[in-house]
Amino acid sequence: MSDDPLQSAAPSKTDRPTFTLEDRGFLEVPKKWRKYYRHWEGDGDSLAPNEIVCPVCKVVIRSRREIRAGDRLYCMPCMSRLLVVDDGTGSLALEVVY
Amino acid sequence: MTDDIFDPHDLHPDDFLEEVHSFEFWFQSVDGYLSDRPHGRLAASNDVPIEGAGREALITTLCNYCVGETAALEGAGGMISIAPNRHSKIFLATQVVDEARHLEVFLYRLRELGVVDTEAEIARRANPNLLRFKDRLLELVRTADWAGALFAQNVVLETMEAIAFDAHAQVADPITAQILDGVIKDERRHLGFGENDLGRLLQDDPDTRVRLGAIRQELDALVLAAFDGALADTGSVREDQPTLGRDYLATIDRLGLV
Repeated sequence: MSDDPLQSAAPSKTDRPTFTLEDRGFLEVPKKWRKYYRHWEGDGDSLAPNEIVCPVCKVVIRSRREIRAGDRLYCMPCMSRLLVVDDGTGSLALEVVY
Repeated sequence: MTDDIFDPHDLHPDDFLEEVHSFEFWFQSVDGYLSDRPHGRLAASNDVPIEGAGREALITTLCNYCVGETAALEGAGGMISIAPNRHSKIFLATQVVDEARHLEVFLYRLRELGVVDTEAEIARRANPNLLRFKDRLLELVRTADWAGALFAQNVVLETMEAIAFDAHAQVADPITAQILDGVIKDERRHLGFGENDLGRLLQDDPDTRVRLGAIRQELDALVLAAFDGALADTGSVREDQPTLGRDYLATIDRLGLV
């Protein structure tokens, strides 16, 4: 059992769509973590249900599962620990957890 | 070995912090985007002639980047001895190497532009506001003010540098843009370390928050004036500057230093 309060409060991860991650050319972390991140590609780019933008460094964070409010994510390029929240408009946002 | 073992989001918070602060993480990261880039650019890159006012403006900008990088190099080096834990000391050691590399690639670029005596040129073109900022940062380090130095260097200076470099890279010549691209990748770690380490420190510590608010008042004017000048010199689109301010203020807001 995890002793991380964010993790233990997170919604179940077994009942949601999963995604196979491909390396998108993000080189700023060690090889084994690279497919979990990508750069935002500007106009014409869009986020998949398993992607969200880091509020600290603006890198796109990727998960193997659909992202939902309550999930805990890490942004390795800027060392941030993040919590997925509902921003009140029906969209998801990230809060930095210090 | 399955992918599941390597899912970063499943790491325990302590394991995550140990991983991203480690020298090994830094080494494997920079190996990914710097190993084929001598002097910060692709080996096969061709330079374009830069003459007249454009050359003068670029030299002035690079000279001030050198001032900022020297401040960060000396600041990060000094902060190792006052860092409160081993994670921070190891991370700062990697930052020292990053800052030294930045200084070196900017000096190399200055020489490519025909600057013979780089030290004299930097002294002649340095923005006085940036020099005052550097003096204040190093004073915070000398007085062993960890929170103040971390805020000045890894939040104020690093955030402003990252934003200014990004704006400059959009309009720069190809070689300078490649150099800036590599520097920006390093800055992501530096500013993230600053915000997250300071955020942990400020939890339940209102006295430090008030004190940093006062330091912020003092430093904002210096660094904003310096980077306003730098952005003007680079020809970055003036309309970008509200974005610059917004990103910086978002960091300040998350830290509760408004």
